[in-house]
Amino acid sequence: MGTSVFYFVATLSVIFSLLVIFSKNPVHSVLYLILTFFTFTVHYVLLNAQFLAVVNFIVYMGAIMVLFLFVLMLLNLNKDNEPLKSNMVKIVGVIAGCCLLVTLIGSLKATAVSDPVLLRNPDLGLLKNLGKELFGPFMLPFELSSILLLSAMVGAVLLTKKEKV
Amino acid sequence: MNIIITITVTALVVLYAGLFKAKKALLTITLIGLLTALAFVVTSWNTSQTYYGMMQMDNFALAFSGITILGTLFIFLLTQNYFAADSENTAEYFTLILFALAGIIIMLSYQNMSMLFIGVEIMSVSLYILAGIRKSNFASNEASLKYFLMGAFSTGFLLFGITLIYGATGSFDLTVINQYLVSNYKTISPMFYPGVILLIIGLSFKIGAAPFHFWVPDVYEGSPTLITTFMSTIVKTAGFAAFIRLFADAFAPLHDFWLPPLLVIVCLTLFIGNVTALFQKNFKRMLAYSSISHAGYLLFSLVALTSSSSNNALVYAAAYTFASIIAFAVLILVKQKTGNDHFDSFNGLAKRNPLTALVLTVAMLSLAGIPLTAGFIGKYLMFLNVMNEYQTYLVAFAILNALVGFYYYFKVIVAMYFKEGAELQLETPIQYKVVLVLSLAITLFLGVYPAVILNLI
Repeated sequence: MGTSVFYFVATLSVIFSLLVIFSKNPVHSVLYLILTFFTFTVHYVLLNAQFLAVVNFIVYMGAIMVLFLFVLMLLNLNKDNEPLKSNMVKIVGVIAGCCLLVTLIGSLKATAVSDPVLLRNPDLGLLKNLGKELFGPFMLPFELSSILLLSAMVGAVLLTKKEKV
Repeated sequence: MNIIITITVTALVVLYAGLFKAKKALLTITLIGLLTALAFVVTSWNTSQTYYGMMQMDNFALAFSGITILGTLFIFLLTQNYFAADSENTAEYFTLILFALAGIIIMLSYQNMSMLFIGVEIMSVSLYILAGIRKSNFASNEASLKYFLMGAFSTGFLLFGITLIYGATGSFDLTVINQYLVSNYKTISPMFYPGVILLIIGLSFKIGAAPFHFWVPDVYEGSPTLITTFMSTIVKTAGFAAFIRLFADAFAPLHDFWLPPLLVIVCLTLFIGNVTALFQKNFKRMLAYSSISHAGYLLFSLVALTSSSSNNALVYAAAYTFASIIAFAVLILVKQKTGNDHFDSFNGLAKRNPLTALVLTVAMLSLAGIPLTAGFIGKYLMFLNVMNEYQTYLVAFAILNALVGFYYYFKVIVAMYFKEGAELQLETPIQYKVVLVLSLAITLFLGVYPAVILNLI
């Protein structure tokens, strides 16, 4: 049961993420990206990672993507002001991307495949364990990311503040 | 740890001082903070300490911290008459530079790849903002956006690489990864290899090595010159230290695997950096390309992993940092006077400003690698290290590129001494004089008496 759900949702994620890059309209792209994130949430639930599922649902799908959508609508991306890329760049990009894809698929195929939904430790993704990890072994990076957030905040205020001229 | 705490606390104090309009005190507070951090570097020398298994303040980290903190100190001295002229937000600029420095210290001393990521991000986020602080200047906006997009893209590579390596080894810890490679040498998970390649790509983006260098010229040219100074010296040194720490410590057993891609990157970087620099008419853009080519020389320390590799990188980074600070400081002075940064602005500079011209000449000679300057010692050590591994063709190629470099570095010297031009009288503030003379002293001292720094790590 779990495995068939996994394969169904995984197929959906692949289809939706392909639609993100192939749809012409940027607003449609973002909408497909939201659907892709929703399928990721289902994956997290299947892995029993409840906290990640909730955070992915509320923060990424809910907040950040809606912000994306607003920015796109404000930017008003039309076909006219979209820069044209030469065919050469496109071909090189496709070749490079395919090389990366082949390498990744090859290396993942060569590794031993485990059952996608079998968990060695079913409590792995629970909130309690995540907290223990964050405030135990990973306390230093957790605390230091406060510098990252503060510098981003200072920067956001700095860049949006009206300059007195 | 105390170094990071000192720097971040200084940043916060500066931020509050800005809130209370204590504009005069900003520089003093910052300098006191940085000097305290520098004192911590000196006192904790030879006492290798590990913090929570996440950060290791060994001599490698301390030596590079010393260079980066000293370089940042010089850059802060150059802020005299620079920011205050066109903005009210000097305190915020100072804070962001200090935050970036805190991120850099993390990048120098990480023991766990999660720390590497956080360090890189703290540094990069502060720099994206600093590149765009000239809000009314189109080039500055472009630089900021370009840097942000490219940086976000390269962070993706970095993260993906870290993920694959975690998948293969089950740990972020550098020691555990190294142990895994040594004990499972025959049965390394196939996921590990693309992980290493992706990490090379991600880090090459950050240090601006070809073919991942295309953002460098535009970003360096568009950003405010002082920020460019910070990016092309301190940030570059930090990126290299992170590179060396990861590849010389953790991935050393796989040297045979990642050497060929690295060699391709080194050759491309040397060639593209030097040859493109030849055609530049703009001094700032020329320095951007020269910084790309120096990235190539710095990568030499990873081509042949010996016990002295990291020390060679330290010597080279020190030589490059202080010579570049001189070049950018003089550029700021010339640009404030003439309003542009073309080579023509330097014509006839030597007649009225003998000291500045002399200092810039020494800096150019050091960047080109002429004996009796620090740059020569750096290049010599790099070449010697690689020669011990019998990479003769590589050294021959690098020497040819160094000869190309002579041409464009001498173009500035020729312009200053032998060309007729408007006889500018540069106004050199006292702090600029201090920085110029100190950097000159370091460059010459390391060139004449390199034994001080030669066996430091």
